[in-house]
Amino acid sequence: MIVPLEHVLFLSTILFILGLGCVLARRNLIMILIGVEIMLNAVGLTLVGASAFWQQVDGQIMVIFLMAMTSAEVSISLAMVVYLNRRKGTVDVRAFDEMRG
Amino acid sequence: MNPLLLFLIPLLPLLGGVFNACCGSRLPQRLVAAVAVLSVAGSFLSSLLLWPLGAGEGTRTVLFSWLQSGGFRADAGILFDPLAAVMTLMVTGVATLIHLYAAGYMEHDENQARFFALLNLFVFAMLCIVLADNLLFLFLGWEGVGFCSYGLIGFWYRKTENASAGRKAFIVTRIGDLFFAIALLWLFREFGTILIEQINARAVELDPLLLTVLTLLLLGGACGKSAQLPLMTWLPDAMAGPTPVSALIHAATMVTAGVYLLCRMFPLVSLSTTGMAAIALVGVLTALYAASCAVAQREIKRVLAYSTMSQIGYMFFAVGVGSVSGAMFHLLTHAFFKALLFMGAGCVIHLAGNENDIYRMGGLKRKSPQVFWLFLIGILCLAGTPLTGGFFSKDEILLTAFARGDGFSAILWGLGVLTAGLTSFYSFRLLYLVFFGEPRQAEKGHSVSPLMLWTLPLLALFGLFGGLLNLPHLFGGHQWLSHWLGQPAGVSLSLGTELGLLLLMLIFFGGGWLIAHLRYRRFPGDEQADWRSFLLNGWQFDRFYEFILVRPYRTVCRFCWQGGDKALIDGIMDGISRLCLHWGGYARKLTTGQVAFYLQGFAWGLLLIVGWFLLSAVK
Amino acid sequence: MILTRLATPVSGFTNMATALFYILGTITVIATLLAITRRNPVHSVIYLVNSFFALALLFYLLGAPLVAAWEVIIYAGAIMVLFLFIIMMLELAPTPEADRMGPTWWQWLPVLLLAVALVTCTLLLIGLDTSVAQGVPHWYATPRDFGYALFGKYALAVEVVSFQLLFAAVGAFYVGKPEARANKREEEGA
Repeated sequence: MIVPLEHVLFLSTILFILGLGCVLARRNLIMILIGVEIMLNAVGLTLVGASAFWQQVDGQIMVIFLMAMTSAEVSISLAMVVYLNRRKGTVDVRAFDEMRG
Repeated sequence: MNPLLLFLIPLLPLLGGVFNACCGSRLPQRLVAAVAVLSVAGSFLSSLLLWPLGAGEGTRTVLFSWLQSGGFRADAGILFDPLAAVMTLMVTGVATLIHLYAAGYMEHDENQARFFALLNLFVFAMLCIVLADNLLFLFLGWEGVGFCSYGLIGFWYRKTENASAGRKAFIVTRIGDLFFAIALLWLFREFGTILIEQINARAVELDPLLLTVLTLLLLGGACGKSAQLPLMTWLPDAMAGPTPVSALIHAATMVTAGVYLLCRMFPLVSLSTTGMAAIALVGVLTALYAASCAVAQREIKRVLAYSTMSQIGYMFFAVGVGSVSGAMFHLLTHAFFKALLFMGAGCVIHLAGNENDIYRMGGLKRKSPQVFWLFLIGILCLAGTPLTGGFFSKDEILLTAFARGDGFSAILWGLGVLTAGLTSFYSFRLLYLVFFGEPRQAEKGHSVSPLMLWTLPLLALFGLFGGLLNLPHLFGGHQWLSHWLGQPAGVSLSLGTELGLLLLMLIFFGGGWLIAHLRYRRFPGDEQADWRSFLLNGWQFDRFYEFILVRPYRTVCRFCWQGGDKALIDGIMDGISRLCLHWGGYARKLTTGQVAFYLQGFAWGLLLIVGWFLLSAVK
Repeated sequence: MILTRLATPVSGFTNMATALFYILGTITVIATLLAITRRNPVHSVIYLVNSFFALALLFYLLGAPLVAAWEVIIYAGAIMVLFLFIIMMLELAPTPEADRMGPTWWQWLPVLLLAVALVTCTLLLIGLDTSVAQGVPHWYATPRDFGYALFGKYALAVEVVSFQLLFAAVGAFYVGKPEARANKREEEGA
């Protein structure tokens, strides 16, 4: 036994909360995306931990899919960031409120 | 002969009408007129050829089942019995001549396609009424003629008064149609069928009171279409339409639909004594009323309109005293000479330079002797000059009424005779004012198209010799029409009485003519008096209706509009929308467009869910 | 079999692995904390790479060597470099006023509450459930098992994900240039 499963979960919880805080508190688009990455990694840690706990590979495969999706997401969001920056000359989320009612 | 061929009669005009409606505006006007005339002429020819099918019990044929639901069934079916055959022949024949005339009358109009499409459609609808074997199909035609009449009265719709005349005709007749529709539904409830034959055959089973109510409802429907008291106000205004329309719809065909309906339902109607009395009363009163109004009219077509109303009153009278053949006889002769008169009036109006007022005419005899002679024949028939068609038919009605012998009929008969005198007076007044004396019109008229003129003699011939159709025994005839309709006249008066009555009629006719002759042979110009304007306005019925019906209705409508619709319903709706708008304004502020704000929303939602689970876990 | 035997720990290794787990966990948390608080995004990304390296080692420790390798290659390697590349391309300077932490208290409130809730959850788990206390065993997913599962059981998912990657590539390309030009023309026109 390496550690109790709870410790792994505890660690991933802390990581997740850190990522959430980054997403919620930062105003820089890129920082928000970084926050999302952190949260995704926290989830990945949970999956790997669970995979090891039950000695099944499925959790690890989920992480692989998670990575693939993250790459897709990041490529598109960063393209959007470039595009938005070109339009307004800034990556501050407060500048983008054209959709307000 | 294949009975299905009977459908050619109504379908040919329908085809012509649809053709003209769809592609008439792109074709040369002459072709449009030719299509219209030929389709109606084809219909006339087929009804001539198929005449034998109408003998005896007649022929019933069904093209297809139109509506079917449970026990209810309405077919597109034709009942070609003697009554329908006679009417069909008259309608198609007169319609053909009037179409020909209209081709000449409308030759300078731009909207010939619309005109002829409506006219053909009208003939189709009228033939539906005449030929239908069930009441619903008849009702279809009934509404169809109403619609076409509306479209044709307001044909020159750019003038507001024409359009509103069309509207008035439509709405007033609609009131009558309502009664008819109620009668139709009621009959279906009682019998479970709407076939005219079966209803007539089983009418005896009905309760006498119910029978009376049904008869009165049918009478209401007939009154609306035939412009009888009290629904008669639309007919004089309907003269706003083109003259061929007045000739076809408001003289020969549509207005006689009411009479025809009563004749068609006669076996049912005749069972109710009260109903019959009501029909006779309505007829006579209308005849008298309209004749008195015609005495004072100034517009040539209005005189004729009132005279039409009056003559149809006679037909109602005939039905009321139980003589279908008398009604049909008068219907036929009247159709011929009234169409002749209207078309003659069209010629007169052309000759007088589009002048309608007979006080500003005069001396047209010298201008066009041909029109004068044709018009004279029409007037003679209308006035009931002995030996003309109009004389025989009117005489037969009055004779039947007299022969009934009871007091009520006697009073009605007296009124009828009085009306005959008035008729004679106003007919000759019209003749004298238009054709005699010095010319009083301001404008020079233009000549009449030969197409218009050459359709008249044929009608004049029919009008003049229409009496041969049902020549009484007294004059050596055999009463052909009565036999054909299967209703040999039950009138048996002694020779002396009959001759005496004839003499009386002659006196009234002569008296009317004499007064008109003395008064209007040399007409000075205008004449104006209060009683005249009372008659001129049709006994102020329009104003009366305005006062008791239109104004209260308008008040109610205004209340419903202002109070009900605008204040209440709109108020509630506007209130709700304003409320939504107001509170929505606050909700709208939530949509800040800020991504951060939305993420906050996510977070709070997540917190809510996690907190909920946490709480349930702790519990 | 050989690999399994290799992975079978000696008895002392247990403590060693446990210690490593806590050390790596601490590094990850600290690096992440630093990453999210930096004003300069470049610094953030560098700290994050650090955090991901530690995370990769954690993965390895938990018996997922392949995932660990990919964590380094894809996350720390490709994605973070992409971030870095974009940041440098846009020449994003650290903007103090735009990037100040905690602008209002209510923005932090849900984070704090969530933190409390999640930590409570985990603590509850630890306290309530004794069956999982036996802990994560020493175990090692062989590449063979991994490959069989990925291309056998999850073959369809692999295809779907590959499609998604293709769509993402197309999407990124589309958002990238031609649309921007069209929009620029629109703006000039308006």
